[in-house]
Amino acid sequence: MTTLVNLNLITDLQKFGAAEINACMSCGNCTAICPLADNDATFPRRFIRLAQVGLTDDLVGSKELWTCYQCGLCTDRCPQEADPAEFMATARRYAIAHYDKSGIARIMYTKPVLGGAIALVAGLFFALFFAAVSGEQSKTSLKLFDFISYPVIHTVGIVLMAVVALFSLIGVVLLARDIARHDGVTWKSLFGSGAAWKRTGKALWYALGIESLGQKRYRQDCADDEPVVPLYRRRWLIHALTIWGFLGLLLATAIDYGMDMFGLKPTGTWVPLWYPVRLLGTIAGLSLMYGVTWFLITRWQKRADSEQHSLPTDWLFLGMLWVTGLTGFLIEVALYVGPAPMWGYWVFLIHVAVAMELVLFLPFSKFAHAMYRPVSLFFYGLARDKALQSV
Amino acid sequence: MSQIPAETAGDKPTSRPQRRIGVYICHCGGNISDYVDVDAVREALKDEPDVVVSESPVFACSDGTQHDMIDAIKDQNLDGLVVASCSPKLHQVTFRNVAKRADMNQYAYTQVNVREQDSWAHPHDHEGATQKAIGLVRAGVAKTRLSDPLEALVVQTEPRTLVIGGGIAGLRAAIGLANVGIEVVLVEREAELGGWVGTFGPTFPNNVSGAEEVAGLVAEIKSRRDITVYTRAELTGKSGSFGNYDVQVTAHRSDSDKVFEVRVGSIIVATGFDSYTPDEGEFGYGIDGVITLPDFKKLVDSSTGALSYNGRKVRSIAYIYCVGSRQGAGGNEYCSKFCCTATSHASLQVDKLDPSIRQFHLYRDIRAYGRNELLYNESRDGGSTYMKFADDDAPSVAKLPSGGLAVSVTDLLTDRRPLTLPVDLVVLVTGMVPRESKSLVDILKLPVGSDGFFNEIHPKLRPVETVVDGVMIAGCCQSPRTVGESVAAGLAAVAQSAALLKKGFAELDPLVARIDPEKCTGSGECLTACPYECITSIEWDGRKVAMVDPATCKGCGGCVPVCGQDAIDLLGYTDAQMRSAIEELITDAEPVKEPVA
Ligand SMILES: Cc1cc2nc3c(=O)[nH]c(=O)nc-3n(C[C@H](O)[C@H](O)[C@H](O)COP(=O)(O)OP(=O)(O)OC[C@H]3O[C@@H](n4cnc5c(N)ncnc54)[C@H](O)[C@@H]3O)c2cc1C
Ligand code: SF4
Ligand code: SF4
Ligand code: SF4
Ligand code: SF4
Repeated sequence: MTTLVNLNLITDLQKFGAAEINACMSCGNCTAICPLADNDATFPRRFIRLAQVGLTDDLVGSKELWTCYQCGLCTDRCPQEADPAEFMATARRYAIAHYDKSGIARIMYTKPVLGGAIALVAGLFFALFFAAVSGEQSKTSLKLFDFISYPVIHTVGIVLMAVVALFSLIGVVLLARDIARHDGVTWKSLFGSGAAWKRTGKALWYALGIESLGQKRYRQDCADDEPVVPLYRRRWLIHALTIWGFLGLLLATAIDYGMDMFGLKPTGTWVPLWYPVRLLGTIAGLSLMYGVTWFLITRWQKRADSEQHSLPTDWLFLGMLWVTGLTGFLIEVALYVGPAPMWGYWVFLIHVAVAMELVLFLPFSKFAHAMYRPVSLFFYGLARDKALQSV
Repeated sequence: MSQIPAETAGDKPTSRPQRRIGVYICHCGGNISDYVDVDAVREALKDEPDVVVSESPVFACSDGTQHDMIDAIKDQNLDGLVVASCSPKLHQVTFRNVAKRADMNQYAYTQVNVREQDSWAHPHDHEGATQKAIGLVRAGVAKTRLSDPLEALVVQTEPRTLVIGGGIAGLRAAIGLANVGIEVVLVEREAELGGWVGTFGPTFPNNVSGAEEVAGLVAEIKSRRDITVYTRAELTGKSGSFGNYDVQVTAHRSDSDKVFEVRVGSIIVATGFDSYTPDEGEFGYGIDGVITLPDFKKLVDSSTGALSYNGRKVRSIAYIYCVGSRQGAGGNEYCSKFCCTATSHASLQVDKLDPSIRQFHLYRDIRAYGRNELLYNESRDGGSTYMKFADDDAPSVAKLPSGGLAVSVTDLLTDRRPLTLPVDLVVLVTGMVPRESKSLVDILKLPVGSDGFFNEIHPKLRPVETVVDGVMIAGCCQSPRTVGESVAAGLAAVAQSAALLKKGFAELDPLVARIDPEKCTGSGECLTACPYECITSIEWDGRKVAMVDPATCKGCGGCVPVCGQDAIDLLGYTDAQMRSAIEELITDAEPVKEPVA
């Protein structure tokens, strides 16, 4: 069966980066050095070829794309200076845009001015919206939910989540379908027997536990040849702290919401520092801030190969995370400094607006990797489980 | 001077002048002496009549031995020299030069091969080998004994060269010849000078326009009075011999043909190549939108801004390499050498016109050799995608219902996936084929190789000379090559012409056939025997006799046995010499008594 090539793939893909990739001559040095290229995962070389030749479906629907952590070893070794690591990052951007059916991701990546304008307008919209619906600013103590009512935030959040979930779900399902087709994974092979269930479970654990939370291969493999970087700014640690921080905050928020729902503790009320949920939030927040701050610094200084080509949306994503974290802490400060400072209300407004925007942009920015990578890793885990492959 | 009459040769030693011959039997390190008892041979030869010196050096060709020989020739007043050593192919010239340096006639030297023809052939029979060596050396002595003091033939040469073909190789050669003071007659079949290159825009490797390069050469040629150009003209006849060819050039004019006769000393053939024409259906040839490399080059050269073909905009191109080259047994087996680079270069031109045009190069091997590699890299960097197909799995081309073309290829670099490329234009990278030049081959007796291109004498050491004296080849008529290589060959032919013609005369080997008019009855049997057509019939003493032109005779000996009258003798290898040598070889130590006439 012959495949019709897409003549425009490489030119289209290069709108997302990978300016040097045409120099690639398929020598395979990159695959030889890549710590993550298993025997049958011939990336990055094969994926460069797919792009050059114009095999769109094979490229965007491949799980391997997402297993690369962009350590940059391949770029160091490429005799053609084709920058394969940047290619892999570009292909992921391209895949994000491919699976985002709204077209916003594409704009964010390929039209920085328009993308920036969209981001600005969205941010301003949220800020103005919350300002418009805001209530009184108590001067005696910082009553944040008197300023912007809790149900309003809650409702806006829910609506946003629904929109985002829709787009995310479409993307995730499409990616999963494409990989499954490509790899010949069927429902039966996933759930058809006890052994299949077991394998599926193992793959899930591999994707979510070992890799997403544990960052095992990032931690162990990708540091192989790295010139020794002090632990406190090793890429996997910064990345892990960011994830853990983010997830910790998500958890704290959920618990807080739950406690409010069950009438245990109304949201936004004063609790001592050691109060478990609060403690979790504080530590998670610190962790997130630490990671994101380092990401910003290293990207700015272009320390590693992976930090050579930052696109505006990368900055936007990191910036929003950072602002959300920072404003969160400032609110804490404002809550605890005694006489209610008036700036606390405005910081809160910014915090809420940026957090909403962050959520909104999940499927349309680098943030999307948080959902595509685990999906891909799941299939990668399935494929790795050779012994059970035949079920 | 006539040779010694056969009846007297080899008669009683006293009936002819005594000869003084030096004999050297070489050890050749051990190559000979390990199997042949060299000392025994030396001793056996010592008492041979006319032998004055008999030695057995370790290396006859060494500088020291050569000097010893020269001293011996002078001191002993030798008038003949025999060295029994290796093949004459190796050292005949060496020892002829020894004779020359010692003021002895060099044709009184005979080389006897006791290595290839004796010691190496009989390593298991030392006794036999030694006996054979003695016989061979005696034969050599016998031949030398009857040798004549021959002198080289001197012919005056005409300081003018005929250049056939006004392509870039011929044009540059013409200027080169004029620069060294050799007049040029340049004959071009077409109305315009310049050949292929004259039709090209930018060319690799320096991106300079071929047409402009040719225009520069043509302007230069026009300004030179020592270069005469005939366009729409052909070589229609040739006679005479090396150094003095009389050539006939016919110029085709609208009303009638004009014929010119010129005398030239040498001839340079630079008639170039044709481009391969694919068969109908070969890689889709014949389908609208499937074109050859020369057609594509024309299209690209003449395009400004966008690229369109037959009024349709071209957004994508597939090149199929090696069409008409490297075809395997029975076809054109050679690589055309220029086409990989020419295609990479053309794709860069396309890139310049419109970088968004998608270009796929379907190749077998990329042979952009030497610095041309950089052009190949550049074309890849520019976004050209190179796909390798297997020799036994060639791409195919079909027309799509939509009007476009579909090229199917299995790309070895993409998991051997069968792919279909929907493109607007397919370029068949056609190679070079020899030009049709039968009449030229007939007139000049040019040697044609099995691939149809003209052959040189030696691919490394004599790369532009042919077996026809004074006729040289240059450029793509010899084999596929680039402009730079074609011009280099043209200039090499200039140097060879200068080497032949600048002295004003040439010395030829006197080892040629001669017909004794006294004996010749004019039967004419030999006239057709000579493959080089050097025997003619002349009036002599009131009757018809055959005569050999010594300047053209190759000394092949083909005519000698044909003559019923034994009137023909090959100087240096006369009947008498050869008979006497054979007698010595077969008779057991008996001196030759009576070589028969
Ligand atoms: C499409 C294409 C692109 C190319 N691009 C490049 C490039 O970019 N760079 C490069 O280095 N090389 C290039 N080449 C190769 C280049 O064309 C040759 O190396 C060059 O033309 C050889 O010159 P030539 O004088 O030997 O032969 P030709 O160019 O063939 O000239 C021979 C001349 O002899 C004449 N002639 C033929 N027979 C007779 C006869 N019997 N009597 C009188 N005249 C006769 C012909 O009319 C012609 O004018 C390209 C070739 C092709 C086909
Ligand atoms: S990206 Fe570089 S190392 Fe990898 S195959 Fe291409 S040229 Fe080779
Ligand atoms: S960046 Fe690292 S992980 Fe990614 S392909 Fe290159 S070597 Fe492999
Ligand atoms: S130069 Fe290239 S295209 Fe031409 S025959 Fe040789 S390998 Fe084929
Ligand atoms: S020796 Fe050979 S070349 Fe000379 S005339 Fe006789 S046949 Fe011709």
